[in-house]
Amino acid sequence: MKKQTILALGITSIILIASTEPVMAYTLLSPRRRWASTPVTVRVYNVGNSTISDGSGGVNATVSAIRVWGIISSSSTSSAAVRGSAPATIMLNTNGGVCTGGCLAATLTGYYISQSGDDRIYDADVYTNTAYQFYSSGESGCSGEYDINGIMAHEVGHVIGIGHSSVAGATMYPSVSACNTANRTLASDDFAARDNLY
Amino acid sequence: MHRRSLSIVTLLLVALSVPVSASQFVDQPFDQVARESAYIVRGTIVDTWSAWNGAHDVIYTFATVRVHRYFGEATGPDTLVVREVGGTVEGYTMEAIGFPAVRRGEEVVLLLSKWDDGSDLRIHAYNQGKYLVRDRGGVEVLVADPVTQGSDRLDRADRFDVEANRIEDTPGLTIDEFAAMVDDARAGGRVDREQQRQ
Repeated sequence: MKKQTILALGITSIILIASTEPVMAYTLLSPRRRWASTPVTVRVYNVGNSTISDGSGGVNATVSAIRVWGIISSSSTSSAAVRGSAPATIMLNTNGGVCTGGCLAATLTGYYISQSGDDRIYDADVYTNTAYQFYSSGESGCSGEYDINGIMAHEVGHVIGIGHSSVAGATMYPSVSACNTANRTLASDDFAARDNLY
Repeated sequence: MHRRSLSIVTLLLVALSVPVSASQFVDQPFDQVARESAYIVRGTIVDTWSAWNGAHDVIYTFATVRVHRYFGEATGPDTLVVREVGGTVEGYTMEAIGFPAVRRGEEVVLLLSKWDDGSDLRIHAYNQGKYLVRDRGGVEVLVADPVTQGSDRLDRADRFDVEANRIEDTPGLTIDEFAAMVDDARAGGRVDREQQRQ
């Protein structure tokens, strides 16, 4: 009887804790790394994606969408990404020779491992697979296309040092489906990851 | 038929037991990955090294794979060299988040294809083209590799230590079951994960 009481109390405690604390399941890139300071500068190369018909090929939408993280200073640029050199640059018009096949978008990040354990990100560039069809917040309607706003919000999560989350509905959740715009809005789990790093 | 159904279920369990780990990828059906691969091999990664490319804008890691067996009709040499984006040179690390990680000592099954420029081999369909081989009671089974670049399982101190990055017990696919699936796929049979999920 006493065992049952203890067991019941234990289960009740777990339920209470679970119901009051939000479930956090984010991961950070390993080894843990971050940019030296905020805001993190991210440029969007001004040659857009040819499948996006919002007037800028998704450039303007991306510049705006990635600010959702709250620590990003974004703008368009006429300079293409230079791997290994800041600033972080998003390329909507090329796969960079690395993002092909089933890859929608890829982030290449560069860092030095420090002895102090406080690794610094030196560069991160994002490439887009131009074999897929994309659309942006500047367009209406969707038919089997992928939301560039949400995809780039996700990729910029990687740019700042965040890995994937197991929380469905988080922007850093690893899978994405066509015509899904949910990644445009960060979940509490995404903010927790950001706040862990910065 | 029963064995094939079992294989499909097992493969699904393997696939579902590991989060889709990626920058952002679209899952490819197994038969497509198998058909598109130039080589499908069971082997051991006996050596890895990293180097900048000629333009000094990408670090690649090269892995020497000692081949123990070829699956399907395509056969080749006893040793293959696989080239993957990402690696460390002189303290600077470049990672392609979510891309496959190759580590010396790994026992693997790899589905390989040529790079777009027709040169070296790469793992086809990113981590969908890589399985780790485990010995379960004298039987070799394949499990999806949960470790990708940027993964939190890649600890700094032992990130290339296979034992330290051991995966949990997960259901696996036997080598013979896998070989049968490859034969079916290459013969035009269809093992479509998405269809099986419905």
